[in-house]
Order: sequence, then C-alpha cells, then structure tokens
Amino acid sequence: MKILSMSTATSDLSVAIRQDGQLTFAKMEKNQRNHSVDLDPLIEEGLKETGLTLKAIDRFAVAIGPGSYTGLRVGLTTAKMLASILGKDLVGVSTLKALALNCAGRNALVVAALDARNQNFFAGAYRGQEAVIEDGHYALGDLLDQIQALPDQEVIFTGSDFTKYADAIKEGLAGKQVTFAEGDDNLLQAGQVALLAEKAAPIDPDQAVPNYLRRTQAEYDWQKKTGQAFEADSAYVEEV
Amino acid sequence: MNKEKDIRILAFESSCDETSTSVVKNGSEIESLVVATQIKSHARFGGVVPEVASRHHIEVITQITKEALAEAKVTWDDIDAIAVTHGPGLVGALLIGINAAKAASMATGLPLIGVDHIMGHITAAQLVDKIEYPAMALQVSGGHTEIVLMKDPTHFEIVGDTRDDAAGEAYDKIGRVLGVNYPAGKTIDQWAHQGKDTFNFPRAMIDEDNYDFSFSGLKSAFINTCHHADQIGEKLDKYDLAASFQAAVVDVLAAKTIRAIKQYQPKTFIMGGGVAANLGLRERMDQEIAALANPPKVILPPLKLCGDNAAMIGAAAYNQYLEGDFADLRLDADPSMELPYAADYK
Ligand SMILES: [Zn+2]
Repeated sequence: MKILSMSTATSDLSVAIRQDGQLTFAKMEKNQRNHSVDLDPLIEEGLKETGLTLKAIDRFAVAIGPGSYTGLRVGLTTAKMLASILGKDLVGVSTLKALALNCAGRNALVVAALDARNQNFFAGAYRGQEAVIEDGHYALGDLLDQIQALPDQEVIFTGSDFTKYADAIKEGLAGKQVTFAEGDDNLLQAGQVALLAEKAAPIDPDQAVPNYLRRTQAEYDWQKKTGQAFEADSAYVEEV
Repeated sequence: MNKEKDIRILAFESSCDETSTSVVKNGSEIESLVVATQIKSHARFGGVVPEVASRHHIEVITQITKEALAEAKVTWDDIDAIAVTHGPGLVGALLIGINAAKAASMATGLPLIGVDHIMGHITAAQLVDKIEYPAMALQVSGGHTEIVLMKDPTHFEIVGDTRDDAAGEAYDKIGRVLGVNYPAGKTIDQWAHQGKDTFNFPRAMIDEDNYDFSFSGLKSAFINTCHHADQIGEKLDKYDLAASFQAAVVDVLAAKTIRAIKQYQPKTFIMGGGVAANLGLRERMDQEIAALANPPKVILPPLKLCGDNAAMIGAAAYNQYLEGDFADLRLDADPSMELPYAADYK
C-alpha cells in the first residue's frame, strides 16, 4: 500500500510517503507561515523523489485535527480533493495521536497537547495508540486533574512549548514523574500520520471536515444569546 | 466550417459566503452552475463570520465539484483548465477554493488559472451577450462600488471607487436600524418601491469632478434621522425611509456612471455585483442610458449571475486562457487584491 500523508495542523508543514510499510519520503518545513503556498510543491517533491505519480497512491492521509483552523483546512481540502478525484481512500488521523506516537517507545502515558491560549489546551492522553483521555479542549487544571487520577506513574508531555506551564504541571501531577519531550519529538510529523493511516478506516471525502474540537466564538455567543440548539452544520447551507 | 475545439473550464468560487462550482464552455456558455449558499448560517450573526464561512466551504467542496461535472454531463477528460477566485475576499474562505483547485490541477494535470473576483463579476456579462470593447462596468456589491473601464477582455482599470463604505454595506447597515434581517438589500429595495423620497438625504460627491463615491455620510444621516425620531417619540414611515435612502444611493450611482459613460464612450455598459440586482438601480440606469445621444449596448446579467457564482469565474478565466495566463501550484489567496487605477484617475 502506498500512502501519501500531509500535516498542516501546526506551524510545521510536513509531507511523507510510505510504501508497503517503509517510509520512502519525509520532509518537514519548520515554522512556516503559509502552508497553502508550500504544500503542493512539497507533495510534488515527494512524488518526484520516490518516482511515484498521484495515480499510484492508494491512500491520502491527513492530520485532521485539532490544530490551526486554517491550517487544518488547507491539508484536508487538498487531501479530500485528491482522494475524491482519483477515487482513492481518504484517511483522517488525530493530530494528537500522531504527536503522541513520537514518544510511544517510552512506556509512559503520553500527553499530546497544543496550546489553545489562556491556559487552555487541545489535548489527549495516549498509552501507546490507545486514547486514555479523549482528544478535547481542556483547561489546564482540568486536564491535570484527569491525568492525576490515572494510575500511570510516568507522564510525558509532547506538542507545545510547555516551559511556561512547567511549574503548574509538576504541581498538578505531584507524585508522578513528569518529563517534556525534546526537539523534534514535539513536532507533528507526516510520517507518523502515514504510519497510523495504514490501519485506519477510510472516511468519505464528501463528509470529511476537520476535527476542530471547538465551535467558533460567534456560534457560542449566538447560542448564549438565543438559547437555541445548533442544527447540523449542513442544515445551514443550501444549494440554490 | 472551420470549427475550433471547444474550451471547457471548471471553475471554483469561495471568496465570501457562497461555495460555487461551474463548467463553462468557451467563456460564454454555462454547462453547469452549482451554488451552495450559507446565508441561513450567517443570518444568525447579522453578517458574515469569516471562520464560520470557511467551515461551511470545506463541508461541501468535493460534493459540489462532482455535481458541476455531473450536471454538465462531462468528466475530467472533457475539461481543459481549472479556474479559481484568488482575491479579493475573505482569506480563509478563498483558501478553500484555491486549495481545491490546486489539488484538482495536480490530480488531473490540467492548467490552473487564478481569477480576480471583481473581473469575474463584470465578465459575467459575457455569459449573457458578447462584450464589445472598450466596455465600462458599474460594479456594486457588499464589498465594492466601482466604475471600471475595460480596454479589452483582460485589462480592467478603475476610474471611480468608493472612498468609504460600499453601497451594499450601507444597505446592510441601515437595514439593521430598520430591523431588516441580513442581507437587507432585497427588502429595502421592495420597501423603497412602496414609499416616496421625502427625507432628502445627502447625495455625497455628486457634483465633484471625479467618479468616486461616498456612502458613510448618507448612512450617518439616515441613522441620525431615525435616532432623533426615536427620542421625540415620532414614528417614521419605513417605506419612505427606504425610498429616500435608495433614491440617494441610486442618484449618485447613476449620475457618476452616466458622466463616466459620456467621457469614455464605451461600446458596452455592464452592471455587475450583488447590488446590481437592485430593481431601483436597474430601472434608473435603463432610463438614463436610453436617453443618451450615443447609448452603449447594455448588459444586465440576470439576478442569478449578479451574486457570487463560479460561472463568472469560468468566463473570466477563458479570456486569460486564450492569453496563456496560467498560475502554478504556489497560487495564494490575495484578500485585498485591487484592480489598477486608470492613469487619469482623479
Ligand atoms: Zn462578489
């Protein structure tokens, strides 16, 4: 199976190709501002380097969220159009699960988290590939309480720059052994997305949307003001 | 008969709150047009919320691409190029169409064309009738109020522009004061037809020696009139308010446009954009142009082609196709893209 994977969920853009269980291309451009400009040329570079064409790809995989809203849409729009037009599989992989995989060899509880500002995180906790705390949007204190209640003694944090929260984290997880991933282990890598995509079930490109884990502020404000429930997103769009 | 090969373009448009795809043949024939509108969603907020718009665009993009091909009864093999609006517009919204178009270009190997949204609106006229050049267009929408001179199918210049609010924006703002749901243009237009111009709102810049507009003074005068009436407990007639507002907008748009037509002597005059659907404006422009000594041919695209749609992008892209004006995979959104100003712009 040939998998082309991409990650645009964080500021690091990456594309990987995995052929029959082997990673044959993986490239990351760190701290990029404009994934929309750089993604397609990077895909073309990967195809050229591996001698593959898009038609030869069996599966298009993408980090589907959480992450930067605009970034997620750049990757997913590209992946779902490719899958839809070429009639191939589309697979969406949790950004946090792919991040956690960076530290999976260490036999600890891996907390993958992306800073969502104001002491909030998009986070999930994984034992290997098993999600123990579901991907969600958590206030730091709540997240730490949930982790503290788990039996795991060793906890590794990966994903964001945790230095400014290090004291609060260690205090909240008193009695546990807490470490923070270093260097590239904190970065979302398309190679991990491809690895997880190998066994994941494909999704329908027409139904696929990013896993934002948050509604927009405008929607929350509207709900607060009107007390109304949200309809399905598709109910708000009409073909005319 | 020497019949040249037909050129089919599949176009994407996602610059604001409509996601649209279309197959256009030879820049003039709509083979399919799919428009998914989000009006119902943004009506909750009283205006377009950019992040919400982007979220809706990605929901429908693959589905409406398939529908455009199916409705036109073609496959990708029948398509010659892929076109997309790359600005101006909401950046996050634009990016959905752009990334979809680029992915489609990569998947099919077809050339990619980046289209200016405003040139698209104006070129919608090409789907109705042949445009003779030089041509002139009055482009009025929620985001734009411009008089554009078109030297040929791909060289457009601004000769008049709004200095502040766009005409459509002013409609939405006074609509809020009158308690009309967003978007307000259609209701205000209907009310205006049932009222009289009794308030004599200001016609800003109408006598100035340029083709520019300003609508913020009109908007303020309108709001002050309503506030003052509220304070003294007087109830104003909403139909007369609407009629007075619309008369002020239409007077300025018509006066400036007619003067520009007299100076530049275009062979075709086009009205485009969402506010071009306004009946008050249409009726007035029809009358004024008919009264000219040397009237240009007038193209008023049907209402369906006045709003945002991908067919207009397919039409404009065809003109670029003929000139070999293609984009590459680095094509980016340009949210504040502007047409160039004419050399004699004042
Ligand atoms: Zn428009």
